[in-house]
Amino acid sequence: MSLHRTALWWRRMAVMIIKELKQLYRDPVLLVIIAYFFTADVYLAGDGAKITLYNATFVVIDHDHSAASRELIYAFRTPYFDFQGELADVKSAEKLLNNGEVLAILDIPDHFQHDLLQGKPVALQLRLDASNMSLATLMSGYSAELVGRFGQNYSLQRLGLSAELRQAVPLIDDRHRVLYNPNQTDSWFMSISELLTVITMLSMMLPAAAAVREKERGTIEQLMVSPLTPIQILLPKVLAMGLVIIGAVAVCLYGVMQPAFHVPIQGSAGLFFAVTALYVFATSGIGLFIASISRNLGQVSMLVLLIIMPIILLSGAWTPPEAMPAGLRYAMYISPLSYFIEMGYGILLKGAAIEILWDSLLGLTVLGSVIFSLGIWRFRMQSG
Amino acid sequence: MNRKRIWAVAYKEWREILRDRLFFSMAFLLPVLMLMVLGWGISFDVENIPFAVLDQDKSRLSRDFLHRFIDSRYFSYRGDVQKAEQLDTLLAHSDIRFALIIPDKFQEKLLAGQSTAVQSIIDGVFPYRAQVAKGYVSAIINNFNAHLLADFIARTKGISREQALALVNPVHVQPRYLFNQALRSSWSMASGLMMLVLMIAPPMLTVLGVVREKENGSIYNIYASTISRGEFILGKLLPYFLISCINILILWCMVIVMFDAPFKGNPLFYFAVSVLYVICTTGIGLLISFLVNTQVAAVMLTMVITFIPAMLYSGLMMPLASLSDSAQLQAHAFPAMYYLRLTWGSFLKGLGWDALWGNVVALMLYAGLLWIIAYLNFHKRPRQ
Repeated sequence: MSLHRTALWWRRMAVMIIKELKQLYRDPVLLVIIAYFFTADVYLAGDGAKITLYNATFVVIDHDHSAASRELIYAFRTPYFDFQGELADVKSAEKLLNNGEVLAILDIPDHFQHDLLQGKPVALQLRLDASNMSLATLMSGYSAELVGRFGQNYSLQRLGLSAELRQAVPLIDDRHRVLYNPNQTDSWFMSISELLTVITMLSMMLPAAAAVREKERGTIEQLMVSPLTPIQILLPKVLAMGLVIIGAVAVCLYGVMQPAFHVPIQGSAGLFFAVTALYVFATSGIGLFIASISRNLGQVSMLVLLIIMPIILLSGAWTPPEAMPAGLRYAMYISPLSYFIEMGYGILLKGAAIEILWDSLLGLTVLGSVIFSLGIWRFRMQSG
Repeated sequence: MNRKRIWAVAYKEWREILRDRLFFSMAFLLPVLMLMVLGWGISFDVENIPFAVLDQDKSRLSRDFLHRFIDSRYFSYRGDVQKAEQLDTLLAHSDIRFALIIPDKFQEKLLAGQSTAVQSIIDGVFPYRAQVAKGYVSAIINNFNAHLLADFIARTKGISREQALALVNPVHVQPRYLFNQALRSSWSMASGLMMLVLMIAPPMLTVLGVVREKENGSIYNIYASTISRGEFILGKLLPYFLISCINILILWCMVIVMFDAPFKGNPLFYFAVSVLYVICTTGIGLLISFLVNTQVAAVMLTMVITFIPAMLYSGLMMPLASLSDSAQLQAHAFPAMYYLRLTWGSFLKGLGWDALWGNVVALMLYAGLLWIIAYLNFHKRPRQ
């Protein structure tokens, strides 16, 4: 008897899941949009966006016109900087800077070479367009390094300490290594971060929309009078949308990110999909909660947008915890995305296994269960 | 065009918005929250990078060297370890983002006038942060080297230490950050985010308003009425447009008061172009709402069309020069870039019509084109 009942329970679940999938299948615009998110959108984010110094345009006002000044200009080379020529006066150069046509003006003073040869310290002035913050930070760092190296080489050569003799000088050689992304390919970071954001949005939006649509059209009343329990009404929505999302993640990972950007999967792909499933489950709980407090899709989408922003902000994707004010750092514990980001980058780029990620996994499981039960509870309360 | 009919539609729409209290409050709350969350959340300041050290030398000089990092505000010391493997675990777990290995015989070699190598290992998951961190590490090591070298030259060439220091570090750069002297992330971000928020919120309100009528069928009343296409569009959008205009003012105040950003330009000019921009983005929403039939699809499509391009391809996060060619094309075909120039021009650079007129013309063309296309795409006899 009880076996029969379990079978019946699962049969009802299966019927409901198929119903949800059919309903999704019949909204072609929505299907196209989901496909777009997991392919073109991730591709565009990974392909176009670079937050690295690349082709930063600059002009030079060279008051010296010497061999040394030319050598210095030559040190600012591609691909970091893009030399746009020399200008005679500050006025016209600043105009270019105002219009955003160049990003920096390098000012080389009179007697530059003379002072260098005399061993007098020289200051170069570099005017930077700081309206774009990331760029200004990178430009000032790079140029300080370039100029420092230029000056040191210049002096050492003059002192007769050529490159071969450098070994006999007390210097610390910095052998740096960048882990996990040795060539600092922006497309890896950008495409993964975009994928995780898309998963977050859709796993909240799709179940919430599926649930509230029934309310809006009144079909929920039909479901209520059917032998289905509230769990059997809600869970199939989550499962159906979860299936679609996980399938789409696989397409995105193997069909877009690997062929186009060669994003590595250092860890176990199975673990990545398991973690993704757990995450989709957790966030769809938020979606159900939203659906339970709103009456129509307009409200749902507003609330999704409202909630997704802090989730993304507190995830550490754009601003790592150490760069946050102390209060916000603790608030990160309630953003499910922060655990997912840690594990997503951990598995894909760092090759981390469960021994390293267990605490994030535990955190997400606990948080996810709480959120999900809250969503179900709220919905049950309402629909009685 | 009958003004009375436009007014009737606008009034009906306004009542509808007012009665949906959640929607009404969201219309004002969402932009405010977006600005707060993103303004504080996305920071390009790289400070307090957590790091650990493996000091195999444990000498006076190695401690001296280490203290250069500990005392720097860019790094935050998290202790030392005994084995290199421990560093790997700490990095994989994101407890630290940078590890330093000082080899044995560090002091012995340097004092003997030989070079030695330290190893710096940087977490490269977020390439921008890795690059900035690398710059800081190089700067500290170069500075330490300059002192070592100066000591050495002073000893071997028999000159004073000050002279020697000037010799090894003859040139330095004085960066001047124009438009954002203190290089504060929030100034650029908060003002730039006006562009992002006003790109997302107005079309979102518009699509929800129009598609709701389509989805629940009340648009057939319009189809059957004597009202013309133009009158319907104008009347329908008027309330949403007004809400967005009020939002311009609210956001503007927040940027100045909460984020302390300066406003150097002409307020009237800026308000006028902001209204123009809102006309553009409302037009995007209008176009979307004539293309789709369900609210979920409309909201998703709005997210696709507005959020990603405005965030990544406008110059907000990264300069246009460093985008790929296709991304640059996309940036120019989208109003966000022009409005961002107007925003930073007005807030940070203090520019007016003379310098920025090209962007205003681009926005005007864009607005005109969008509204014409939307008008032509709206039919009172929909093909089913």
